[in-house]
This record gives sequence, structure tokens and C-alpha cells, in this order.
Amino acid sequence: MKADVVVIGGGPNGLAAAGLLAKGGLEPIVLERREVVGGAAVTEEFHPGFRASTVAHTAGPLRSKLVAALELHRHGLEWTLPEPRVFAPHPDGRGLRLFGDPARSAAEIARFSPKDAARYPEFHAALGRLCAVLGRLLELTPPDIERLDLRDLFPLAGFGWALRRLGREDGQDLMRWGPMAVADFAQEWFETPLLAAVIAARGIQGMMAGPWSAGTTANLLLQAAAGDGNGAGSTVLVKGGLGALTTALASAARGFGAVIRTGAPVERLLQRDGKVAGVVLAGGEEVEARAVASAVDPQRTLLQMLDPATLDPEDVLRIRNFRTSGMASKVNLALSRLPRFEAARDDASLHGRIHIGPEIDALERAFDEAKYGGISRRPYLDVTIPTLSDPALAPAGRHVLSVYVQYTPYRLKSGSWPERAGEVAEAVLATLEEYAPGLRGLVVGRQVLTPWHLEATYGTTGGHPSHGEPSLDQLFLARPFLGFGRYRTPVPGLYLCSAGTHPGGGVTGGPGANAAREILRDLA
Amino acid sequence: MRVGASYDAIVIGGGHNGLVSAAYLARAGKKVLVLERRHVLGGAAVTEEVFPGFRFSVCSYVVSLLRPEIIRELDLPRHGLDILPLDGTFTPMPNRDHLWRMSDHARTRREIYRHSPTDAEAYDEYAKAMVEMARFVKPILSMVPPDPFSYDVKGLARLGGLGRRFQRLPRSQQHRLLQLMTMSASDLLDQWFETDVLKATMSASGIIGTFLGVRSPGTAYVLLHHYMGEIDGAFRSWGFSRGGTGAISLAIAGAAREAGVEIRTESPVARIKARGGRATGVVLPNGDEIDADVVLSSADPRVTFERLCEPGALPAAFLRDVGRYKFRGSSGKVNLALDALPDFECRPGPGAHLRGAISISPGVEYMERAYDEAKYGDFSRRPYVDIVIPSLTDPSVAPPGKHVLSCFVQYAPYKLREGTWDEKREAFGDNVIDTLAEYAPNLRSIILHRQVLTPLDMEREWSLSEGNIFQGELSLEQLFFLRPVPGWARYRSPLAGLYLCGSATHPGGGIMGAPGRLAALEVLRDLGRGGVR
Repeated sequence: MKADVVVIGGGPNGLAAAGLLAKGGLEPIVLERREVVGGAAVTEEFHPGFRASTVAHTAGPLRSKLVAALELHRHGLEWTLPEPRVFAPHPDGRGLRLFGDPARSAAEIARFSPKDAARYPEFHAALGRLCAVLGRLLELTPPDIERLDLRDLFPLAGFGWALRRLGREDGQDLMRWGPMAVADFAQEWFETPLLAAVIAARGIQGMMAGPWSAGTTANLLLQAAAGDGNGAGSTVLVKGGLGALTTALASAARGFGAVIRTGAPVERLLQRDGKVAGVVLAGGEEVEARAVASAVDPQRTLLQMLDPATLDPEDVLRIRNFRTSGMASKVNLALSRLPRFEAARDDASLHGRIHIGPEIDALERAFDEAKYGGISRRPYLDVTIPTLSDPALAPAGRHVLSVYVQYTPYRLKSGSWPERAGEVAEAVLATLEEYAPGLRGLVVGRQVLTPWHLEATYGTTGGHPSHGEPSLDQLFLARPFLGFGRYRTPVPGLYLCSAGTHPGGGVTGGPGANAAREILRDLA
Repeated sequence: MRVGASYDAIVIGGGHNGLVSAAYLARAGKKVLVLERRHVLGGAAVTEEVFPGFRFSVCSYVVSLLRPEIIRELDLPRHGLDILPLDGTFTPMPNRDHLWRMSDHARTRREIYRHSPTDAEAYDEYAKAMVEMARFVKPILSMVPPDPFSYDVKGLARLGGLGRRFQRLPRSQQHRLLQLMTMSASDLLDQWFETDVLKATMSASGIIGTFLGVRSPGTAYVLLHHYMGEIDGAFRSWGFSRGGTGAISLAIAGAAREAGVEIRTESPVARIKARGGRATGVVLPNGDEIDADVVLSSADPRVTFERLCEPGALPAAFLRDVGRYKFRGSSGKVNLALDALPDFECRPGPGAHLRGAISISPGVEYMERAYDEAKYGDFSRRPYVDIVIPSLTDPSVAPPGKHVLSCFVQYAPYKLREGTWDEKREAFGDNVIDTLAEYAPNLRSIILHRQVLTPLDMEREWSLSEGNIFQGELSLEQLFFLRPVPGWARYRSPLAGLYLCGSATHPGGGIMGAPGRLAALEVLRDLGRGGVR
């Protein structure tokens, strides 16, 4: 078989890259190891009759330019934008709801602290201004610092100019906040412990770091910039689960001429004359191509699929040191009916994300246990009940509770994940019982995906949700590391387009879209 | 009422930075007055006879980065500065083994080899890489931070120059520098070494004076400091000052007096006078006023702007930023007068291992757990302790046969979850002794006197807000052009004629003297321009 570009991995980034490459006039072929496309953005039946977004349960959201370029709405993509965006119950029975409308959020906050309520619109506005500028950064190809190229310099100068135009006050805030601990950031704004925890949780999501770790504010800002910069954060669900999103991506890519093969595991890269000239599938079939774009994580791509002798030994050391240790698990629960959260005044409160983590110290304590290789006994949870807005996911009257769990470190101090997975479910149920008594009795089926399972089933090294820690030293042109941050690699014909490249994880399609642009520059 | 002559400059605080500023101003022909609240000069770089016959470097206890240009320009050796080498770091381990790194390279290598042959190999490579990095970073210590949001062409050119220097580095160094500036000490060292105790001891230098753990991002870059001294060439990276750290301050004071500076001790300042948006001098507690063209404060921003400035003298936005500046003292000191030397079970008897630093940092997890307790407002049950016995190198500080031992203890959070430091001071001291006695059981029986300093004591006695030894945390968002607050990193303040010259300004704490020197040079620039901006 032959193609212009082989895209390894049919997750959101691989599919986004393939769609844009096809639209740009190339002939890409996507090779997906599993029988379904979607990668970690997938809808699966985890219990008879119950379907869930088994791994990621909210969309980044997908970059709007990408949605437009691939005309995804014509391919059946339907967003659900729930209100409230976030509901945070407190064990004392009070609940905090944050909405897309800052005035409405402020009114809710006023029940906790008039001072915070007064601050909130300012917070919302400041975040919005910074994210408008940071959003441009996400779309950039990180520059080559050794040879500054005019093509890179121009958008970079645009970003620099936008940064300066922000003015002294905002610009200084951005520089100060970037390296800050998100706990400091949240508390600089707000005094209500629950509100500060809701904000701080956004900085630790997908990181092996607690809210008191430096650099977590950068994570919050980047995630906010990928969304709409709303003070409440973005909560974007997809009708039919996230699998419907990747199905739409696949359908759009096919529409532009891309070929997508599932059940086609790539074993290694085909290397000829110092170049990557295609891939070899398990079973020996060769697919030749002018270029290969890997949406598989950088470690697996460069250490397992590429002949290690191809790279400079120093680069091999660097890629080994790329931190990919996962910390999150997913617990999907099939429920006989809707659980009752004591702090929720009505069922409508439960349509968005449900944040479980009453104060910053609770989040930090959850991290403390994981630092030493233990499973958090009172983990931080990000819960959605997708069946509230999309009842088709479960039998009539029944519900799916989709729980993102942090922290469950990939490297356990004792035991192995297959034998300890039940402890994660137990920690989740014990934690949720404090907010929704009786929940345990509603569970008719469950699925637990630990970092080990995420690695084994979905192929992400270390089970890391974004293919590599989004810490300050692994961002932008240093993602995955310096010299490999521009989607190209030193091996001609090999490109990276996974969440392990700029702008990182979250179901945004950003890395795939940026990489496709670079590949088109080189090949078209 | 106004008393006495008026001065060109008044320096508030006679710590080492204040004295450096004063000396530079006087050498440029200015008439300078230094006002020190305490009865001794030196601030936190002070030697005091706490117990008869026993003289302690009460707070700061080792010299690391005293800028060679200051030593040279102020001719400090002629004024009595004498730095003695602090040889190596000895880390006792609970299993009765130890790790002893010395300045003798071959012996250190053999010692590390004993723990891990691959680490011995990596140690050389690591040192080489660090020296390369230090060479890049060092000039920043002597640089007035540019303001990236200004249209100051010279400053922006300096920033651009830094960028170009970075650009010209080989990629391997760019990569390392990026990691150093952002990673945690423990993550960084994990990339080089496998021996737990080696990583723990080395990572300790990343957390000193911060409220961060060895696994907190942003702690790696302090590892560089160990290697900066080596390229200064003037002296070893770490040393004692003969006569204690106070002797450094006295040498600087000597140079300052020689240049014509007037220095008064036991002279607290009550207020900084301002008229028409300008600082015009100071007011003493008895109401006496002393006029000056400019006022330099070596106190921290909270003391300077919130306590000494008159309400309304500064814009609200600036005061808000000052209010956000983080201090978070995290350490205490325990100073002991000893009848004999401590006897370590893992290496019995006296010996050269006692002449350097003795580090209680037996493992990375030990260090991190010490931090965990402090995060929630308790002092560490088993803290990181850095011990020196200066009387072994400089016998003049203790009676014959006796010794002074000083412990730097982390973590001791300023804000306690329960109780007050006044209630917990002795429990804290006992806890430190218990920790040390696990390694040197004879310690309890040889203690003649004990002085315990908590963060609260440091705040009360030395006006270090929240007891932070660096006048504010050295975390990434409080460094370089962000120190102490964004927009005011160039030693000036919104009140014309009022400058900061202490550790709260770039490049920060430690007995470096750089903030004092850079501040003085900026003041002279402003005065030379025919008045204060």
C-alpha cells in the first residue's frame, strides 16, 4: 500500500491531522491499532446497555478553526453546553454553581462571600483577556531558536505584539502567574475555600502535581486558553459521547479523501536511506509513504517504533527523560437511577461537571499520598452524568456516572494495578458517598481504567492523559523537548502530532492541526 | 523637628546590603548616613556573643556568593575579611553508613563510587554541566533587571542580549538550562543519579529559605549556586568568615567608614518622610527628623512600604502588589554551645568530616515528608538540618576546648496550624536535638547552652517579615524583573527618592551584597542625571 502520509493512531489529533492533510491535497492514511477510531476520545459500552466516554469525558473543546475547516457539524457533531458548567458540592451540604454568565456565577458566589462575588467578574474578565492572547500561542508552531525563520517569526511577532498590547498590568500578571502555584493564584483572587479549590483543580488536572506545586497556574491558563477563557472553565459535552466527536472527525477526513484503517497496529517505522519511508504493520505488511506523522506518544514513537540507532544518543536520553508517568484513572459507573447529591437543589445542577474537592488542602493531601506511590484515599474527582443531557447512552431511566480520578500514580509503591484497580473504585465510592449518600446502592456495573489500563488498552506510555507531563520544562518549544518541538524530528520524513507536542493534551485537535500545517509546508 | 546636617543619602538598616550601598555611595562622593535599629551591625549577617565566651553567626552562617567585584572594589580583605574554606558535606545515614563529599575531587569520587559506580561517573559530568550553566547565569547576578514592559531601549537590549546568548548555546546546554530554571531539584537529579542519599543531600540546597519541597518545580536552579563560587575564582563556593559572618559586615562597615559614611547603631527609623511625592528623609521615634536627598531601605518591602511609609504616600495598586509579595518563612536556627564535639555513630570520633557542613538529609522521601508537615502548618517532626561547627575552623569563636554548633532547620512554618511560636519554641528546639541525637547520641550530654530562633523570632529581632531569611521567597514569580513586585525591580519605588537595596531585590538573598551594590549604582545614575527621577 502507498500513501503520501501515514498517520499513526486514529485519536482526535491523528484524525485532525489526516483531515487537514487531505483537505490540503495530500493522500493520508490513518492506521489505528484498535478496532475503533477515537483513541482516548471514544464512546464504548462498558456495561450491557450502558455507554460512556470511557476515557476523556469532556471535549477540550475542539479548536473552533478546526471544526470550521473540517465542517464537522455536517458530519453529525453536536455539542452539549450544560449550565451550570460546574457544580461543586461541599460536605456541609452547601453547593456552589458556576455558569457561563459571570453575573450569574457571582450571584451564586455571593452566598459564600460578598467579597469574592465582587471579585469574580474581574477574575472572569482578566482570564478572558489573557486567554485571547494565549489562544494565539496555542496555534503557533514553536520557533526554531537556533535558526529563526521569517515564517515562524511573523506569527511569533504577532503574539509578542498582542502580549504588549495587553498592557503592563495584564502582561505582568501573565508573567507572574505562569510559574506560580495554582493555590497561590486561586487564593490571590478568592477567600472562599470551595471556590479557590474549584479554580485550583483546573491547574492540577492531568498533572502529577498538587495545587502547591509551581507551574500549575500555567496548566490552568493553557487549558483556559484552549477553551473560551471563561472564569468557570469550559464544560463541553458531545451528544453520543466523545466517540461521536472522533467519528465526525473520521467522517470528515474520509470526505476529503483520507483513508482510515482500524485493526492496523503499526509495529515499526520503515526506514530507508536515513529517511522514514513508511511503516510496517504487525504481521509484516508495509505501507509506504513520503512522510509519517505519529499521533502516538513521543516515547513510543521514538523509542519503540524508530530504530534507536537513528537518533543522537543525547536525544535518546532526553526522550527517556520526558516525563510520562500517569496519575489519573477513570471510573465509569452504571447506575439504576439518578443519584441525589445533598448539596444540589435540583437535578439541573448536575448537568455539567461536578467538582469533588472541598478545599485546596484536600487536593494537596490527595497528591501527598500519590507522591510516595500510594492511591489517594480521598481523591480529587471530576464527575459528569452524560445521561442527563443524552439519555440514549443508557437504558431508560438509568444513568451513567463518569468519574475522572486523581491521583492514582502509574508507579505504585507496592502491588500492581491489575490487582489494585478495585481500590480506586472503592476510594471513588467512599468519597462520593459523602456527597451523595446511597450512591453505592445504585451501582449496577462499573469499569475502572487505571494508568496501567490506559497504557495497555489505549497505548499511551505511562498512561499519561496528555502523553507527557504539561510542566513548564515540557511546554511549547520544549514539548516533548528542545529540538523536537516543531512537529518535525531530526529524521527526515518523521513528524510528531500527538498531545506530546505543543499545545498538548485535552481533546482539542491542536497538535494535529499545527502538525498538519507544517507537513503541508514541507510536502505540498 | 529637624536636627543636624542633611545628607545626600540615608540608608535604613546596617545589614551587609545596606552597608554595601552606603560604601558605594560614599566612594562616589556622597554624604551618607546609615541607621541601624539594633545594637550591632550586620543585620542577619551578624556575630554575637550569645553565651559568655561563645560567639555565634546567629542567623546566616556560611558565605557563598559574596560578589568578587565587591570584595575587590571595597578592598574588603584590608578591612579584615578572611574567608576560610568550608570543606565538604557529610551526610550521616540511619543505617550507620554515610556520604561524605569533599572538595578533594578524587576522594569524593571514590566515596560516591562506594555507593554507586554509575553515580561516580555521572558526578563528573554533572559538575561539568553545572559549571557551564553557572557561566551563563552568573552575569545575571550583576545585572539590573530590565523591564520588559518599558520602552527603555538599553534594558530591552540587555534582555535581547540574554536571549541571544541563550540562542548561541549548544542545544544540550539550552535543554539543561530550561530544565534547571523550571524543574524540581529532585526530578533534575533523578536524571543524573540513582543514590538516594546523594540526591537528597544535593537537593537540599534547592529548598533552603523557600517554602517548597525538593519535589516542587522551581527548586532546581538553586543547585547552580554551588557551582557559581567555583568560577568566581576568588574563593571556594562555600566558606566561613573568620570571626563569624558578622566579620563580613564589619569589614564592609570598615570600608564604608573609610569612605566617609556615618554609621549609627541603636537608631531605629519610625517613618520615611515624604513631601510632594518625594522622599525627603526620615523621622526617628523621638520625632527628630533627618533630611536627605534620597533614602535607601535595606528592609523588606512590607516593612519599608507598609510600615515606614506614610499612608497615602504610595499608589494603591503598588501596595496591593506589595501585599501579594510572599514571605512565608520556613526555617529556624538552633545554636548550641558545646562542651565537646558531637560523636557520630556512623563515623565515630573527631575528624575532618566535622569541619564541613553536616547535613541531615538521609533520603529524598525524608526531605519531602518534612515539607508535607509544614504545608499544613506544623514544624517537621524530622526536619532537614544543616549543621556547621565553625569553632573547628576558627577557634577564636569559643573558649579553648569548647565548640559552637549551629543548625539551620527546615521546615518551621511561620504560620502554625495550632498554638504560637512562643509556646512551641522549646518543643521545636527539643525536636531538633532529638533528630540529631539519632545520629550523634552523645549530643544531649555535651550541650552547655542552647539558643532557639523561630521564624517569629527572626521577624521580631531582625525585622524579617514572616521570618523569611531572604526577605521574600525565591520562587520563580518573585525573581529577576518580578522581584519584589512587577514593574519595580529596578531598586526604585513609586515614591521618588526612595529605593530598596536589600535581599528583597534582584538577585536576592544570601551574603551576596549584589542588591546593595546594584541599588547604589542606580541611585548614583539618578543623582548623576541631575536629580532624582
